[in-house]
Amino acid sequence: MADSVKQNTLLSWLVDPLQSTRETAERAYRFTGDRRSWLVPFLLGAALLVISALGGWQRPDDFFFAYLVGWTFLLTTALGGLLFLIFHHLTRASWSIVVHRINEGLIWAFPLLLLLGVPLLFGMHDLYHWTHADLYDPSSSHYDEILAGKRAYLNIPFWGARLVLYFAAWTIVSYRLYTLSVRQDVDPDPDIPAKLRSTSAWGLPLTGVTLAFASYDILMSTDPHWFSTIFGVYFFSGGILSAVSVIALVALLLQKTGGLLRGVITKEHYQDLGKYMFGFTVFWAYIAFSQYMLYWYGGIPEETVWFQHRLQNGWQWHSAALVLFHFVVPFLVLLPRAPKRTSVVLSVMAVWLIGMHWFDLHWVTIPVLRESGGFHWLDFTCWLGLTGIFAGALMYRLRRHSLIPQNHPYLGESLHFENT
Amino acid sequence: MVSRHTEKKAPLAWYIAFAASLSGALLLLALLAYVVWNGIGVWGNNQPVGWGWPIVNFVFWVGIGHAGTLISAILFLFRQHWRTAINRAAEAMTLFAVVCALIWPTFHVGRVWVIYWTLPIPNQMEMWPQFKSPLLWDVFAVSSYFIVSLVFWYVGLVPDLATLRDRAENFWRKRILGFFSLGWTGANRHWRNYEKAYLLLAGLATPLVLSVHSVVSFDFAVSVLPGWHTTIFPPYFVAGAIFSGFAMVVTLMVITREVYGLKNVITIDHLEKMNIIILVTGTIVGFAYITEFFMAWYSGVEYEQYAFINRAFGPYAWAYWIMMTCNLITPQLFWSKKLRRSIPVMFVLSIFVNIGMWFERFVITITSLHRDFLPSSWGYFEPTWVDIGTLVGSFGLFFTLFLLFLRFVPMVAMAEVKGIMPQADPHHYDGGDGRAAGNGHAEGDGEPYIRPAKVASLEQPDTDEGEA
Repeated sequence: MADSVKQNTLLSWLVDPLQSTRETAERAYRFTGDRRSWLVPFLLGAALLVISALGGWQRPDDFFFAYLVGWTFLLTTALGGLLFLIFHHLTRASWSIVVHRINEGLIWAFPLLLLLGVPLLFGMHDLYHWTHADLYDPSSSHYDEILAGKRAYLNIPFWGARLVLYFAAWTIVSYRLYTLSVRQDVDPDPDIPAKLRSTSAWGLPLTGVTLAFASYDILMSTDPHWFSTIFGVYFFSGGILSAVSVIALVALLLQKTGGLLRGVITKEHYQDLGKYMFGFTVFWAYIAFSQYMLYWYGGIPEETVWFQHRLQNGWQWHSAALVLFHFVVPFLVLLPRAPKRTSVVLSVMAVWLIGMHWFDLHWVTIPVLRESGGFHWLDFTCWLGLTGIFAGALMYRLRRHSLIPQNHPYLGESLHFENT
Repeated sequence: MVSRHTEKKAPLAWYIAFAASLSGALLLLALLAYVVWNGIGVWGNNQPVGWGWPIVNFVFWVGIGHAGTLISAILFLFRQHWRTAINRAAEAMTLFAVVCALIWPTFHVGRVWVIYWTLPIPNQMEMWPQFKSPLLWDVFAVSSYFIVSLVFWYVGLVPDLATLRDRAENFWRKRILGFFSLGWTGANRHWRNYEKAYLLLAGLATPLVLSVHSVVSFDFAVSVLPGWHTTIFPPYFVAGAIFSGFAMVVTLMVITREVYGLKNVITIDHLEKMNIIILVTGTIVGFAYITEFFMAWYSGVEYEQYAFINRAFGPYAWAYWIMMTCNLITPQLFWSKKLRRSIPVMFVLSIFVNIGMWFERFVITITSLHRDFLPSSWGYFEPTWVDIGTLVGSFGLFFTLFLLFLRFVPMVAMAEVKGIMPQADPHHYDGGDGRAAGNGHAEGDGEPYIRPAKVASLEQPDTDEGEA
């Protein structure tokens, strides 16, 4: 690390590992909001979490499932952002430089998320059926031969060790991508772009593999009898869609309030972000449909049961809503050119898709808990509470550094970018 | 430079290669006639293994074709300028690979003369095809894929055929090229419409290419067979298709640029980028192998577990390990920059990749079929000389068509390459935008060809570009 950027103290390392470098930022790229920009979402989030914790006192299983959905929502979004950034470094994309810093703010999320994940440990018994000891006792009436066969993989020490390993891998990759880029702002070292690319090169397979196994451990194992090989891709497709929407939304917010980045992030960049939102909407639908269609078609009992739970007793409305609102509506709205270039429509769609990603995870997870569909108020407070804290941390990081990687060699190209 | 190879006499090597390929194509025709006359029992298929080499070859050839569309459509959407040097040849490769692929679903049926029953044509029997069968989806997928690829390729060819027309000195050559170039004059209005059409076709071809190989994967994945019934097949087959397709493009381009002297157009950088895509997709495929293996264990289903143990240690273990070596290990060598820029290394590796991908389809098809639920219906598949002959013959047909393409059609999209030459940039002469600026002269006159990037913080952002 260069002398010009100092490490932060241990506590704030969770939120931002680096000392502020905002003094060096060009005026045009400097965040002008005050501390309310991060304090308000943070406090709102904390308040909602306190309320959720009180509710969780009464209904622990509802609380833990709602918390898991909210936490996974943030985790997939951060992972989607990490992969989105990696793709752009590897392909040397130049259009996206002006939105990189928002994405970099998004990816420094894993230490905080690990901390926010700690409450889930108290709910392991509620969340994960395979943690019940009597399943593995042949003399017990609950003995489950299939789960006993999976015990070598599904057991608490190994599960915990795996999660720590995943978070370590994601933290290392995102630390390098984040700090190298911030360091470039104050110290234009000509080697940095190459370092970012090489980190992305080994970071891509590492992140991809850990993400897939994390999806099996965190979500698929809530229904431990069920399995699907495409599940990792499914987890990824929703996350990257959500991440692109977050990037677009934050950029639009920054411009709307205070006029930051006006003329820096232009309609041309929004059109590209809109294209990615459209593309990953279709990709998500392709993956989701493939998984559904193949299990519906095969009709093998141990596999179809997962969809059976989600197609009856009230959950059929959630499934239909997912098809309509996660695919058909965004597909039709984002298809023409004009909506992608209109900030109002694009911001509505970004919020919409972020909400749909949460709804998708809700649909994946909650049927394990509740036989019939519907929502509990804890589902919303946990999600919004966690998101508030997360958004506060994101805005806090954005305040502390230039909003644009201002010494990036392709910045000029990105500023003049036009769709052709 | 590009036009010349269609105008001058073809090199001797071309005639030798053409004779060899043509005899392969004739072998294919003769063997297909033999199969139709005698029945498909002349192939090695047996009762548990009803799908033998014909399906393996079908999936293999469809996969080869995918790289062409990826290069021409997907890389176009991502504004990757490097695609221009290779897209024409890659698209031609797509078309010929799809032709080779279509042979197999047509001829592996027992009664080829009633194959039109697979089309939804009103008829006196009032019978319709079953729309739930992925084999029927194949009919639609592959035929529309062929048509769209053909239209896409032809639309791209029009300006180049016009160039050839304008260069033609022979009367008939001028007439024929004049007919196929559709009266193209290169007017502003033409170009505007042309580029819109090209963008739309690219946008349509992209979901098409992903869906085609997904549909091909459904042939296997919708069944209930352990080893086939897996949800990861659609994206994993697509990744494998891109992997093998790019390997084929590398194989062909390495030879073509050597023989036709196109080293300044198809540079080592192009080949390197293709090798990177091979590395990425190869790693995805490798990860899919591991996922399948892991899930087979995790599922706790004994048939599923046995299917994978059988792959690795059963009678076809050799095929499995060839597949693993060629697909999982060899592309990883491309992590080294030195190796991925070395022509001999990439040539050998690209051939290895295609051997591996042929075996991947072989392993999926045959090892899953030859041992499944009932041990009493376990068998072993051995190909006959007809299996081998038709596979060899399909390569003959492919290279016959590809050599004809090299001889008669501009193998590089001239109009597109011109569009990305530095001189085509409107800011080229005024040194406008910092990066793509030169002085209008070729390399080596003192001015750097591409000026090193300025520290961009010196540049003020444009404030007049409007807020979004």
